[in-house]
Amino acid sequence: MTEATNVETKKPLLEVKNLKKSFPIKRGFLQRTVGHVRAVDDVSFTINEGETLSLVGESGCGKTTTVRAIMRAVSPDEGEVLFRTSEEETVDLAELSLSQIRPLRRNIQMIFQDPFSSLNPRMNIFQLISEPLLVNGIGNHQEREDRVTELLRQVGLRPEYMQRFPHAFSGGQRQRIGIARALALNPRLIVADEPVSGLDVSVQAQVINLMMDLQDEFGLTYLFVSHDLSVVNQISDRVVVMYVGRVVEVGTPQELFRNPKHPYTSALISALPITDPTQRVERPVLEGEIANPANPPSGCYFHPRCPFATEQCKVEAPPLQMSSSGRLVSCHRVEELDLAGAGKLGAAAE
Amino acid sequence: MNMQPTESETVITEQETGTLPLLAVEDLQTYFFTDEGTVKAVDGASFEVLPGQTLGIVGESGCGKSITAKSILQIIDSPGQIVGGQVKLSLDGTESRNLLDMEPNGIEIRAIRGGEISMIFQEPMTSFSPVHTFGNQIVEAIRLHSSLDADEAHELAVDWMRRVGIPSPEQRMSEYAYQFSGGQRQRAMIAMALCTEPRILIADEPTTALDVTTQAQILDILQSLQKQNEMSILFITHDLGVIAEVADVVAVMYLGKVVEIGPVETIFASPKHPYTKALLSSMPTIDAAPRERMPSITGAIPHPQNRPSGCSFHPRCPSYMSDICGLKEPELMSVGTDQQASCFLYGRD
Repeated sequence: MTEATNVETKKPLLEVKNLKKSFPIKRGFLQRTVGHVRAVDDVSFTINEGETLSLVGESGCGKTTTVRAIMRAVSPDEGEVLFRTSEEETVDLAELSLSQIRPLRRNIQMIFQDPFSSLNPRMNIFQLISEPLLVNGIGNHQEREDRVTELLRQVGLRPEYMQRFPHAFSGGQRQRIGIARALALNPRLIVADEPVSGLDVSVQAQVINLMMDLQDEFGLTYLFVSHDLSVVNQISDRVVVMYVGRVVEVGTPQELFRNPKHPYTSALISALPITDPTQRVERPVLEGEIANPANPPSGCYFHPRCPFATEQCKVEAPPLQMSSSGRLVSCHRVEELDLAGAGKLGAAAE
Repeated sequence: MNMQPTESETVITEQETGTLPLLAVEDLQTYFFTDEGTVKAVDGASFEVLPGQTLGIVGESGCGKSITAKSILQIIDSPGQIVGGQVKLSLDGTESRNLLDMEPNGIEIRAIRGGEISMIFQEPMTSFSPVHTFGNQIVEAIRLHSSLDADEAHELAVDWMRRVGIPSPEQRMSEYAYQFSGGQRQRAMIAMALCTEPRILIADEPTTALDVTTQAQILDILQSLQKQNEMSILFITHDLGVIAEVADVVAVMYLGKVVEIGPVETIFASPKHPYTKALLSSMPTIDAAPRERMPSITGAIPHPQNRPSGCSFHPRCPSYMSDICGLKEPELMSVGTDQQASCFLYGRD
């Protein structure tokens, strides 16, 4: 890119500010709106160029809706999605009309979760991977074929496979095809929504390695969405932990997983199975269920399940702010709690 | 074929529970006869389940772990067929019955399904009837396998709903599957499976569709109920982390065969089969250094119709020996205390 890349590697590529999206709940014969599901409830984060930012959380935490709002598959209700284009212009994707977005779409590409349903079974690999080029009117047939050959090599598939159809490939290979398709237009940002959760462990590692290699080679920026903390640990530079549509903690994987500051992060970690059978301990299990985003609790959304909740937590929602440890946490008691190490959750609650 | 009587029998006699294991699967073969050819989904799987023990069966997709479980209860869908082997159930340790000798729709096996052996599945949504209340379904299960009258069965069902941690069970008995969250549906399924006090619970990926915090709750419930009822669990999963939490003995399957079996501590501390080793090292953990390349297994799991010759893992194996692995099929052999692996690295006979 520019000469200044070295100095400017930390430049934000995408800034999400106070993003909100809710969906109406309609009931009855007249389909009257009886309430709203607050899928994304004031989410802010920044992705710097060349880094991998992960959104992590359990089902219903709003990670997929956040991504869909960034991609403008749904239109956000409020907030800004500031994206720096290749012309170094900053545009607000949340404000643009769909026709204004269209030329920008090539800058943001997506890798999907299910490698089986995300590839059209009637298109061969060449058609699948060259489709983005065709749609954007790039190159003639020969040039597109050369580009597809190059892409297939980059993702570790043999170019001879170009005329085959998706059914001839395994899940891991299909995910490679999906990655090649996403790379075809040299996007500035790749959004990967649970890209490895449908894969077997042995194949999962290959795909994660491939994504990291491609990032090193081409300086890609990833927004990685996953519910799997261990995968997130492996691939991320920074992690955003979400709970019921809100960000609860942001930090590097080392910081978050070794020394969580939010009780929910700590609970997530202690719920992970311990992979050493000699270390089986009775660990505290987080009680209750994920709050209903259609009818969230008052105050801090996590307070009904939080062993450290106080009166303040029940009435006042904690803001996401910088704690003294230099990490963004939304918890009233962030300065007094020590959550380092899994298992503290129950011990401290006694 | 590959029976290993000497090894397995020593294991049993050490347990003072009579002479026979609770459940012994011997050389099970389940094939699928499709138009494109025969798929050997399970091809000679053998293992034993002892009373009160949890046997974990772990493997990736297509390894035949679910088909093995379904074969035990003879609930294989067409075009699948159990073509060989024995499944011996011995409730008292002295006498055993071969479940595969029973008529698939006969009264004998139907008494065992949901009676002595219950099963829970991955997808609790599709495992329940959408048009019957939970209460009715649990009561039906109880009444099928006991002589309780409707009121007593209802009471027992409420009790079980409470034991699996469903709040206000009395009220929720009259609710339908769609009204429950994923975690609660899985709890209800556990209640339905355990209300007949089975000796063996087959759990086929019971927590795979759940979030981690819910998974921890469900594993907790299963383990405490197992202790109360002295029940054996056959736990099937692809998740090695879950296996490390729940299993006493682990059987690792690859393409329809058990490639390694042994106590969970041994399997995790000193795996012998190259596939087990690779599987364990490619497992991501939060203790790993971030942004580091992960060890991975090369290649992909072969399509079951093109099973490689010889040892089916040989095309992906880092310890491949050209003079034998592709030519001959290894059998399970002893590689340590109670530990068996099928690999020519540990003997060539």
